[in-house]
Amino acid sequence: MSRMQAAAKPSAVSRALARDRLGVPAVLFFVLAGVAPLTVAAGVIPTAYATTGLTGIPAAFVVVAVILGLFATGYVAMTRHITNAGAFYAFIARGLGRPAGVAAALVALLAYTFLQVGLYGALGPSAQAQAAAHLGIHAAWWVWALAAWALVTMLGLGRVDIAGKVLGVLLTVEVITIVAETIFGLAHPAGGQLSLATLSPAALTSAGFGTVGVLAVVAVLGFVGFEQAPVLAEEARHPRRTIPAATYAALGVIALVYAGAAWAMAAHAGRARVVAAAGTQGPGLLFGLGPGWLSQTAQWLFLTSLFAAALAFHNCVWRYIFALAREGVLPAGLGRTGPNSIPKAASLTQSLTGLAAIALFALGGFPPMTDLFFWLGTTGGFGILILLAVTSVAVIAFFASDPRGESAWRRAIAPAGAAILLAGLIVLAVLHYATLFGVPPGSPAAWALPAGYAVVAVIGLGWGLVLRARRPAVYATIGLGAHAVTGQRGSFRPGTPS
Amino acid sequence: MMFPMASSRAGRAMHDRGAPRPPRHQPAGRERSRGPVNAGLAGTGLVADDLYLMAHHELTGRPLLQPRPLGIGLAGALLAELMLGGSITVRPGGVVLAGRSWPADDLARRVRDQIAGEYQPRPLPEWLLFWARTAAVDLAGRLERAGYLMRVGGWVRRRPGRWVSVDPDWAFGPLLRVRSALDPARPFDPREVALAGLAVASGLGFRLDQYLTPVGRALAEAIGYLGPDLRELIAQTQAAVDSALLSHRI
Repeated sequence: MSRMQAAAKPSAVSRALARDRLGVPAVLFFVLAGVAPLTVAAGVIPTAYATTGLTGIPAAFVVVAVILGLFATGYVAMTRHITNAGAFYAFIARGLGRPAGVAAALVALLAYTFLQVGLYGALGPSAQAQAAAHLGIHAAWWVWALAAWALVTMLGLGRVDIAGKVLGVLLTVEVITIVAETIFGLAHPAGGQLSLATLSPAALTSAGFGTVGVLAVVAVLGFVGFEQAPVLAEEARHPRRTIPAATYAALGVIALVYAGAAWAMAAHAGRARVVAAAGTQGPGLLFGLGPGWLSQTAQWLFLTSLFAAALAFHNCVWRYIFALAREGVLPAGLGRTGPNSIPKAASLTQSLTGLAAIALFALGGFPPMTDLFFWLGTTGGFGILILLAVTSVAVIAFFASDPRGESAWRRAIAPAGAAILLAGLIVLAVLHYATLFGVPPGSPAAWALPAGYAVVAVIGLGWGLVLRARRPAVYATIGLGAHAVTGQRGSFRPGTPS
Repeated sequence: MMFPMASSRAGRAMHDRGAPRPPRHQPAGRERSRGPVNAGLAGTGLVADDLYLMAHHELTGRPLLQPRPLGIGLAGALLAELMLGGSITVRPGGVVLAGRSWPADDLARRVRDQIAGEYQPRPLPEWLLFWARTAAVDLAGRLERAGYLMRVGGWVRRRPGRWVSVDPDWAFGPLLRVRSALDPARPFDPREVALAGLAVASGLGFRLDQYLTPVGRALAEAIGYLGPDLRELIAQTQAAVDSALLSHRI
């Protein structure tokens, strides 16, 4: 065998490294496991029908999926050229500058924290109802929320791979349940006639053009998690194909499942009555679509789904904290790992935030399902919407000076389209935030919660500038995450075939 | 500072299972005491052996790190042995042989030969991930042959056995060496500084904190005195461990 032939044949090292890599199904499973579909289908969608009074939710999932597909074009293209590709702030730091990256990091931390702690607001009441109905145990919602919090804290400090396996099994059963409920719902429409009206784009503006933004926030909340595929960019078998394929597949699956479930609920209850039915039944709007045994199964799975989502977002938040601490943006103590390789300080910090939220809402007597779950959850979704829009701009800026072999569609046209559409949705959402919350215009919650992002963004920008002036070595590594210690800015994928 | 010594109950139980064999490794240039306990405390003189002992519980033999960070750290230590021995070096294109020096140890020679067998140099992170797959088992075998570990359990209920330290005191030897490496009053020893750096990079900083005075700045300073290859190796090991953690593949 000539030297050239031997060089062309993959060596034992290449083959061994390739065996450890992930294909599309593994990455897709990882992404969907963090999405916790029943939480959205039974928790977010009925609450959104009831709170906003809007019926265009099925259409919103379809339209937002298309916009996110446009966004993903530039997002996955940039993933191929940077390190720490699993975090929005890494894209923004590389595209728009490090101070903007720090601002984005704090916005992301706040958004994911809202999403995580909000879940206790649904976990508590749901567990309370289930325990009272089936176990004869009567305890306040916050007791159950605290029990879930304690379990999340414990698992957050334990072995992450076990948590991942649990999430995977739950995901599979949840999707099967939602699809079954959807089929039953569509098979028994109100009045015997299946209507496509709630799936039509016209449904988005049925209560005025501004409600598009409100519906988009709800839909984006459902898609949160699809952006996680690049976390595994360095582990992918074929980085140019695996990550984009898994991202688009995740978008497609999520859109299909949620739009289908939301459509089935509206069809089964009737478009004119779905808002009122959601107000009285809550998650029961989904559970009532199928027969009794399916409903019972779905109710228990709803609890496990909420728990899985709380655990997934808990892990997501400590990952952000850990990466930022490794870079020196947050205190170094938050980046230290303990036994079992878990960053305990970062994990416990998020646990304390959850405890504070449960205590605040319990002591204040605020309704957990609407105020804690829906308000904080949708505000978390709104934060992700902001990050999606800014990331689109960052993608354009990143490729502006050097196309790096990417086509104009990927590096400029698609991201520009996504940025314009997402920015429009943000403006409409801000203008109609009171509708999203179901409160009178001018209500403090409707401006204070979204304004929180502006506050942390300003703090982040300021802190970024302080780091530039006082700690240039730390400033230089902003956005590099795990690679902060090596200063490596380009992508690295060991042993991947070119 | 308290170290569990051989007088502990668990330690005695371990001794009862069989008389400890004196270590067979007697690295050149390394002073060793005569008694079996003291000889064991001196270690094999190999960085990866010391890191393996630090990364496992001294009584139960259970790993203190998740499998992937542990493997990456041990892989880094295997490469550090070759760097310290002048067998390999890091060039912009990847890891290459530094000369014709051959390591005395079989495992180290196998690592060297694998690197030599590649037609094109591979980057350091690739070698870390490649050896991470097998480093823990390879090193347990090496330490068993050297008389530091013994296998307990077996194939009971279809579960493989595990390795425990022959003498818990010997498992503490590496921590003592790291402490002395970070003592500014003692002469600079690149082997022990590399061990300390790789221990922290793998995620064993908590273990150092448990038994040593706060090491942060002293360690960073000491690493600064290492050659560029070892500094790069420690940084790449930490990056690989952090990447594994952030991608949840641990």
